[in-house]
Amino acid sequence: MTIKYIFLVSRQAKIRLVKWYTMLSQKEKAKTMKEVSQLVLARKPKQCNFIEHRDTKVVYRKYASLYFVAGIGLDDNELLMLEIIHRYVEVLDRYFGNVCELDLIFQFQKAYFILDEMIMAGELQESSKKTVLRVIAQQDETEAVENSERGWGDIKYVFANLTHAIYIIARIHIYVFLMYSTLANLVDTY
Amino acid sequence: MFEKTLSDLIQGLRANKRNESEYIQRSLSEIQHEVQQSDMRQKSVAVDKLNYLHMLGYDMNWASFNVVEVMASSRFGEKRAGYLAAEQSFHQETDVLMLTTNLIRKDLASSNVMEISVALNGLAQVATADLAQDLLDDVLAAVGHSRPYIRKRALVCACRLVIKYPEGLREFVPLLKDRLDDADPTVVASAVGVICELAHTNPQNYLPLAPKLYRLLTTSSNTWMLIKIVKLFAWLTPIEPRLAKKLHGPLSHLVSTTAAMSLLYECINTAVVGGIIDVQLPAVDSVGREMDFAELCARKLQLFYESRDHNLRYVGLVTLAQFQRRRPELVAAHYGTVLRCLDDPDMSIRMRAIEAISGMTTRKTLVGTVKRLMSQLILSNTVALQQANAKSDTMDYSESSDTQAMPLVDASGTSMVTAQGSIVSQRSSAGPDVADNPEYRLAVVEAIISMCSHQTYTNLTDFEWYVATLTDLVYIAGADVDERLSERFLDVTVRVRQVRAFSLQMARRLLSDTHLVERAASFGGQKGNNALMLGTAAYLLGEYCELQPANSDDIHLLLPAGLTRLPEDQQGMFVLAAHKVYANWLRHASEYWNADTWEQVRSVTTQMQQLLSERILGSDILPGGTVASRMSLLPLQTSSRVRLLVESLKLVSVTTSNMTDTAPPVCLELNALFKAYELNPVSAAAQGKVPIPDTLDLDTFIGDVIPDTTAKVMPPPSPPPKQRAATATSRQRKESKAKDPYYLPSVDDIPVVEL
Repeated sequence: MTIKYIFLVSRQAKIRLVKWYTMLSQKEKAKTMKEVSQLVLARKPKQCNFIEHRDTKVVYRKYASLYFVAGIGLDDNELLMLEIIHRYVEVLDRYFGNVCELDLIFQFQKAYFILDEMIMAGELQESSKKTVLRVIAQQDETEAVENSERGWGDIKYVFANLTHAIYIIARIHIYVFLMYSTLANLVDTY
Repeated sequence: MFEKTLSDLIQGLRANKRNESEYIQRSLSEIQHEVQQSDMRQKSVAVDKLNYLHMLGYDMNWASFNVVEVMASSRFGEKRAGYLAAEQSFHQETDVLMLTTNLIRKDLASSNVMEISVALNGLAQVATADLAQDLLDDVLAAVGHSRPYIRKRALVCACRLVIKYPEGLREFVPLLKDRLDDADPTVVASAVGVICELAHTNPQNYLPLAPKLYRLLTTSSNTWMLIKIVKLFAWLTPIEPRLAKKLHGPLSHLVSTTAAMSLLYECINTAVVGGIIDVQLPAVDSVGREMDFAELCARKLQLFYESRDHNLRYVGLVTLAQFQRRRPELVAAHYGTVLRCLDDPDMSIRMRAIEAISGMTTRKTLVGTVKRLMSQLILSNTVALQQANAKSDTMDYSESSDTQAMPLVDASGTSMVTAQGSIVSQRSSAGPDVADNPEYRLAVVEAIISMCSHQTYTNLTDFEWYVATLTDLVYIAGADVDERLSERFLDVTVRVRQVRAFSLQMARRLLSDTHLVERAASFGGQKGNNALMLGTAAYLLGEYCELQPANSDDIHLLLPAGLTRLPEDQQGMFVLAAHKVYANWLRHASEYWNADTWEQVRSVTTQMQQLLSERILGSDILPGGTVASRMSLLPLQTSSRVRLLVESLKLVSVTTSNMTDTAPPVCLELNALFKAYELNPVSAAAQGKVPIPDTLDLDTFIGDVIPDTTAKVMPPPSPPPKQRAATATSRQRKESKAKDPYYLPSVDDIPVVEL
């Protein structure tokens, strides 16, 4: 199963993650991505998930607002690639807890690390969800330990976390506000 | 101190949607500054940010050296970030890759498992031939690591390196073979995957492993690994046919018991590609019935293309196309299902269905299938035709309705397009159809042609219907198939005597369609016109004109108004055909010579001369003085044929200037220019079979040697080889050198002038 590339593209044609397993020039990569994104975004829901593009088969699947696209060689098993994509999404879901596009935007590095654990050099390495999550957890732990070793000398890091925390709290507040206002509207109409 | 982190960058980007590029430029300059700092933490954050921007399309190659610095960090988190950035942005020519050799070596030898895995991953991604050569040994050492986690990654990394540096294969393969016996099943799976990858290019090497792989196939339950092994056997079986007999046992077991569609698909694919279904082999069904293995596969394949899931259908059709090439009788029953897939709204499925169908047609099914395909072409082309006709204003209304109603006229004359209005209204509600795609249309037309001409027309019972189909396709194809259609038209007419009369009818119809001729003439040499087809029609009319009752109207068809605007080849064909038809008609007319025929001959001759002078040599078409000078402006083929025609017309008009009792001999004999006896088509290899006569000598001059007037400028030509001697050539060379003013025999001869 030679995977040539994997990328995630949103409905507005924004690339959220891209991983190439072949050596191409930057221009060629950009061109291929653009063409394939156009092909994938033009598909209707009833059509099958396989497209032929030049000398690769493109396998894609839509999860909520995000398209997971992979390119494989002509001899490879498309159904298998679909399953690999699905496995990856399941692992992401388990790791982030109900993953949404926002998670992938802000923690795209984690997404890359998980992808690297599962797929290396265009081949599926690890199909067991538990193992992948265990290894990633280990890596996260190591990183956390390293960061705490720096101690409070790094105020910037604290600031960064703080802004992120404030952002999340703000988001929750906005949701609560919205819910409250819709409820209020409902009550008013009655 | 308060530099932005990655999250800040992302948030800022989302906040500044309107002035994104400015924001990014600002951030880039900040990053440039940060990346030069000595603090590793800042550097790694900067590299992270660069990575993100790289994903959005901004170049980060200027920071490659800094990326390497971050890779060298002792902290795991930073190292990981550095490797990631390297994987994303380095390519084969990045020069800092050379600096990474020792770095990666150190990481590979580290005691921290995570560092080793990160290094392996990075290496597999960015390896160049040099890196591969240097680091292969370290990676091979890692293949024997104590942790299975590292072993399996090292295997894949080594595979990548070996692809870049093929000489390392020799050392790698024994290690690889050992790993197949590894205790840990994941390592075994990884080894199998690597073998599958390498066997793609060189299956012979891995044939000795077949017994081990067979054991794994029968004992393992890991679906991923099974798929790999099955695929591997697909590569091995073509070179070792005995494997087929051994494999069908476990394969049939898998096929009948597995619930995983991907594994089932892979097994059937292997069975087809590896040729296992070519022979009769017993197999056991899921309910215990004995049946042929190939039949079992066919039955399981049916599950695929009859399913409601589009993916399965697509995959099933792909395999079906290959399956029916080898064992057509097993899938002939499913013809109807595949036919239904032709109407699927998804273009990929349709293309695959066409491919499968092209091989599956039989005599009985051919006509129905072709009609179905053509109705697909029509239903969308009617819309296109109407739009095109509405725009052009030089249309004769009777002509336009004629062309639109013409498609799908059967050989018997009945039209399948009943009420034009109803068809069009049906289409306008549907929206853009798959059949509008030009690639699809081309595929459909080619499929129709290949189906009909399969094995030199074995499937075709009614050639007249075929010729009618070809002419219909000229109208409704909507794709650039002119060449193919004209080839087929010619082929069928020449080979099959009985259909020639009908072909002439069709040819006449094509030529009398002035709209078609106008279009061909106005587009000139561009593609999309039907000039080739018209040219073929003209040629056929001329060649077989004696099959029809002699008719001088054909001549008018063959010298249409736009003749000079057609492509060159076609012009010549038209003129020649006109000449042939005229000669034929003349001969017929001359046999019943009386005053009426004399009148007719004179009138037709003068008409033709008029036509020629108007349409070809007319002063409004070609500039210039005399007729002769104008004739020289025509393309070469045309001018010679026109000249011939003009001369014969002159001859006839001269000899018939007075009424005679019998036909002037020229009228009878003119036809002999073209019709001495029937010419049959000759095969392409015929010339090679003619033996060369012994007395043939191609080297001696036939007549006198022509004096070469260029001898003063160039050296004289060498005499024929029989008389040439070695001394003669060297003497000649010396003579020519002596005559050559620019040749100096030695350095001393260079004249030196004292100034």
